[in-house]
Amino acid sequence: MIVALGALLAFVWANTYGESYFRFARALSFAVNDVGMTFFFALMTKEVVEATVPGGVLHTWRRVMLPVVAAVGGMIGAVLAYVAFLQLGDEASVLARGWPVACATDIAFSVFVARTIGKRYPAIPFLLLLGITVDALSLVIVEVQFPIADVHASGAALVAVAIGASVALRRYRVRSFWPYLLIGGVASWFGFYLSGLNPVLALVPIVPFLPHAARDPGFFVETPPGFRDALSQFEYAWKYPVRLALFLFGIVNAGVLIRGSGTGTSAVLVAALVGKPLGILAAVALAVVAGLHLPHRVAWRDMVVVAITASIGFTFALFFATAAFPLGPVLIEVKIGALLTIAGALVAIGTAAMLRVGRFAHH
Amino acid sequence: MRRRVAILLLLLTPRGWRAFAQDLANRPGSVKFAVIGDNGTGERPEYEVAQQMAAFHAKFGFDTVIMLGDNMYGSQKPQDFVDKFEHPYKALLDAGVRFYASLGNHDDQTNRSYKLFNMGGERYYTYVKNNVRFFVLDTDLLDSKQLAWIEAALKDSSDEWKICYFHHPLYSDGRTHGSQIDVRVVLEPLFVKYGVNVVFSGHDHVYERIKPQKGIYYFVSGAAGQLRKGDVKRSELTAAAFDQDQSFMLVEIDGRDLQFRVISRTGQTVDSGAIKR
Repeated sequence: MIVALGALLAFVWANTYGESYFRFARALSFAVNDVGMTFFFALMTKEVVEATVPGGVLHTWRRVMLPVVAAVGGMIGAVLAYVAFLQLGDEASVLARGWPVACATDIAFSVFVARTIGKRYPAIPFLLLLGITVDALSLVIVEVQFPIADVHASGAALVAVAIGASVALRRYRVRSFWPYLLIGGVASWFGFYLSGLNPVLALVPIVPFLPHAARDPGFFVETPPGFRDALSQFEYAWKYPVRLALFLFGIVNAGVLIRGSGTGTSAVLVAALVGKPLGILAAVALAVVAGLHLPHRVAWRDMVVVAITASIGFTFALFFATAAFPLGPVLIEVKIGALLTIAGALVAIGTAAMLRVGRFAHH
Repeated sequence: MRRRVAILLLLLTPRGWRAFAQDLANRPGSVKFAVIGDNGTGERPEYEVAQQMAAFHAKFGFDTVIMLGDNMYGSQKPQDFVDKFEHPYKALLDAGVRFYASLGNHDDQTNRSYKLFNMGGERYYTYVKNNVRFFVLDTDLLDSKQLAWIEAALKDSSDEWKICYFHHPLYSDGRTHGSQIDVRVVLEPLFVKYGVNVVFSGHDHVYERIKPQKGIYYFVSGAAGQLRKGDVKRSELTAAAFDQDQSFMLVEIDGRDLQFRVISRTGQTVDSGAIKR
């Protein structure tokens, strides 16, 4: 929600005092997008690492299989719809590279919507896994496809050194997260940067080496006080700076001009709100035919609601937009599409009411 | 129709020709070029504007046309290059006029390799005509490499006139798109710092002349094929505007003087003026 608050502020600012807004956004862009958001992705990685311990939602592959299939199906559906939309309008060009924007799922936002549909909605773990897979795959593709600079081999070597240092720290049972961050993290950031990759993912290969709790405190659940392991300490120390980073991310990236919409806006919306849910449902149907089962207490109508909820790209869609497109009007039209995927929330809640799932079910 | 005939007759009269000759000196050795933007529809208005250009070329022998992007709408297959570019501008191409394109949001990025667009396979490039250096940018994808390039190119240029052109306008009163402020905050400081004199853009399907901003003259000329009738919302920025028909520009630079004339699809002069360095 904090991104949405920043986004709202940015939208108003950009459309009233545009010149000062864009100067401000440009001045802060590097600090927020390439440094501050590194910690956001580190905390996301922390959630995934903890989810792999016993009791975590990612602990067994069997549970993961269906959401992964659904995620791949969702991405294929989004990409096909995006490309088809452009082709139908005979739009070749520059917009073609924007397909990852339509693939994104704002995990926190979509889970918030799912919890609105039902506090203990049984499809939530499925949605989480789906979101993580979609974003992880898209992040990797975006990193490789859109390098931010020319590639230097020294960068890869530096990342290897960073990982080696983190392994050593773990072996020597260093319990504070600071050495991991200051040695491994800093070296990894510069390694990514020199490699031409977006350094925002620099802490992703480092976080798994931080000693963590023996059990998962809960997916996207704030770690309760008292956990003394390095990963929990890392979360305690960085959760407020990350919130600030997210707020600033909304401000820096969501300032779009009201008249800036275009073909890219519609392409992202159609791909995210139509192509992606259809792709998810088609993939799940195929998987069920092949022998996989729907999660416990999750029916097909829940799956429809989940597929629509996963279309909310918002924060991640904005992030992919800034990675895929440099400054310019094309970026703005795609960003508008990314922001408007928030409409998926209303569609999901409306569909839930129509299909009588979650809080709308008759008891 | 009657108005169109009247204008045509006026142009053919000695009086009409004098009026034309007065605002464009048509001096031998001067730099003469035409400006078109958002032209590549392949539809009748594009052909009609091209016919006007050819008619004026007979009297005002420009050897260059600068293209402000959206040189090609819709399908961009080989036949489209014929229908949307080579046919409409055949007379000019046959006369040896060279077109120098910039890319717009509707252009396929690979069009930069199309020989008759003279882009040398580059999204952004520069070329010189006598004392005038042109800088062509791709505002679709204004990446850091391009920004570093334009800064270095402007810095290195000691040419008397520096003219930049690209698709998206830094200043525009077009209702549909308007000023591209995000691009402006990046490019304008460079233009001011390195003494750019004139900037041409398209994107809004109208003609507009902007009052000089920080010493730079800005023109929007995005109606050489497309048109958004009545799209200009005049503001304190507007020096002149025309949004009732398609249009193109003719420009002449002789020494320290630049003269321009804006001509509608029917051959009517809808704006003209001079800029002195």
